[in-house]
Amino acid sequence: MALLQAGPAAAPGGAADPALARGGGWRRWSRWKSALFPYALNAPAVLALLALVAYPVGLSFWISLHKMNLRRPKSFPFIGLDNYANALASPEFRAALSVTLKFTGLAVALIVGLGLCLALLLNSEVKGRGILRALVLVPWAIPPIVNATLWQLIFDSHVGAFNGLLLQFGLIESYKAWLVDPAIALVVIVLAHAWNHVPMATIILLAALQAIPRDLYEAALIDRTPRARVLWRITLPWLWRPILVVVILQTMGALRAFDLFYVLTGGGPGNSTTTLAWLTYQTSFVYLDLGMGSAYSYVIMGLTLFMALVYYRGLYKRGDVA
Amino acid sequence: MRRKIPWITYAFMALAAVYLLAPVLWLFLLSIMTQAEALSTPPHWIPEHPTLANYMAFFSPSERQSLMGADAIAAMPRAILNSVIVGVGVALGNVVLGSLAAYSFARLDFRGSQTLMFAYLVSRMVPAIGIMIPLYVVMQRLGLLNSLASLIIAETAETLPFSIWLLAGYFRTIPRELEEAARIDRCTWLQAMLKVFLPVALPCLVATAVFGFMSSWGSFLYPLLFTAGSSATTMPVVISNFATDIHTDYGLLATSGMFAILPPFVLALWFQRWIVSGVTSGAVKG
Repeated sequence: MALLQAGPAAAPGGAADPALARGGGWRRWSRWKSALFPYALNAPAVLALLALVAYPVGLSFWISLHKMNLRRPKSFPFIGLDNYANALASPEFRAALSVTLKFTGLAVALIVGLGLCLALLLNSEVKGRGILRALVLVPWAIPPIVNATLWQLIFDSHVGAFNGLLLQFGLIESYKAWLVDPAIALVVIVLAHAWNHVPMATIILLAALQAIPRDLYEAALIDRTPRARVLWRITLPWLWRPILVVVILQTMGALRAFDLFYVLTGGGPGNSTTTLAWLTYQTSFVYLDLGMGSAYSYVIMGLTLFMALVYYRGLYKRGDVA
Repeated sequence: MRRKIPWITYAFMALAAVYLLAPVLWLFLLSIMTQAEALSTPPHWIPEHPTLANYMAFFSPSERQSLMGADAIAAMPRAILNSVIVGVGVALGNVVLGSLAAYSFARLDFRGSQTLMFAYLVSRMVPAIGIMIPLYVVMQRLGLLNSLASLIIAETAETLPFSIWLLAGYFRTIPRELEEAARIDRCTWLQAMLKVFLPVALPCLVATAVFGFMSSWGSFLYPLLFTAGSSATTMPVVISNFATDIHTDYGLLATSGMFAILPPFVLALWFQRWIVSGVTSGAVKG
């Protein structure tokens, strides 16, 4: 992410703290100590992450190779890849995969589109952009569960603001229950999800816009290049990399989206909003089939980690990481 | 040399402001309406009888209110307290564990440091939904279900990689001479840390704590799995119960949402600069 100045540049590989190496008569002990010291400092964090992230990632895969149902806690037979085979064969899984792809595609497109528009707006030298920059943080600060509640209250069939607006503009005769319409429920969730996540895209793209050298624009100004052409020939070419970063981060975010589905639709109506994340939750904690649930969750994990790999390999410069 | 700003830019800015604010505004409006007014069609965009009754209800509900939202009202104070405890625990865990690890990246040269930082960053990408089942099993075996400890532990692990990354970046900007001067004055390493280094790093320590707190404040999946239905549950779970109950009083529901957004709002405004740079790095959970 060269454009974004993502991290502080790699530290110059300085020697260990010189004061640590000075140990009087204890020189050997102190040299040994200073060699171990950095690892000791990392030990608590590493242990925590091994126990709470790495081990669960492994255990999740192990469970997915077994039949495990909380209704029969004693039985834990090894069944190899059967859970995955069953998943691929089941229409539920395929439907959930297709809903997930639809949701992710729509949400990411909307987030990138709106984020780009907002970033361009915030980058123009207008009075009042400072206020708007603070306002962009408003949706970002809202916890996902409140975001869900918020949009439920907007699309509600009794008090919904959306119904109210449509009625006042004469577009509908009476209030409608939008969330029970299979064709619309997913769109509502996409809108709600996008609203919550647009700020992040905006902030990343705005930072990228501000990194574009000013003299390019000044040259265009002297040449009287039309605005649209400046956008197309100068701005967008500088933005493709940050846009890709946003696409990848948002795809990972959309794959794990859960809270909105819990509050707004519960996967319904029918299974029109049952994504992989929702199917995983339901299989695991409603039907208590942890084996199958683990297999589903591993599909999400696989997709997410694949995106992460693309991100770090292709977009994150090596120097920024360390 | 500047281009003239066309009026259309201002129109778009107004539109953007409406888009960003209107949804929260609706929540606020519902929170100061009575149930009767909330249900009026078409909606009252300006409440005719604004009232704080919904806010007061969480301290002493009226008869009708306690009928419409009894469980949520009763559970809310405890849930807010739980959320605060977990948030503070997560914040402290991040600052302590994060500073230790971050210091090694900023000051010490050791084999495998690049690999280790890479491992931290990759572990941040693991989705909670992917490891919720084994974590649930682990918490169950440790007897930690229905306890605040399970939430503090799980959410500290979730936010720690980002904290390490953030702190390491800031620690690198602190001049080495500061600690060397302290060492020459015969301070031990620990004294040099506590008296010289950490006070200089304070702004970033606070920012790390704020990020940790905000992240745990909004966290829903872990509390839902580990503590739902017990007295150790947090606010998002109570709100979700409230929101999925079809007999809900709309004003009370909106008000509970207002309670939940207040702390992150204040923190986001206060730490605007830090949040922007944190998000820019692409490292804050989206």
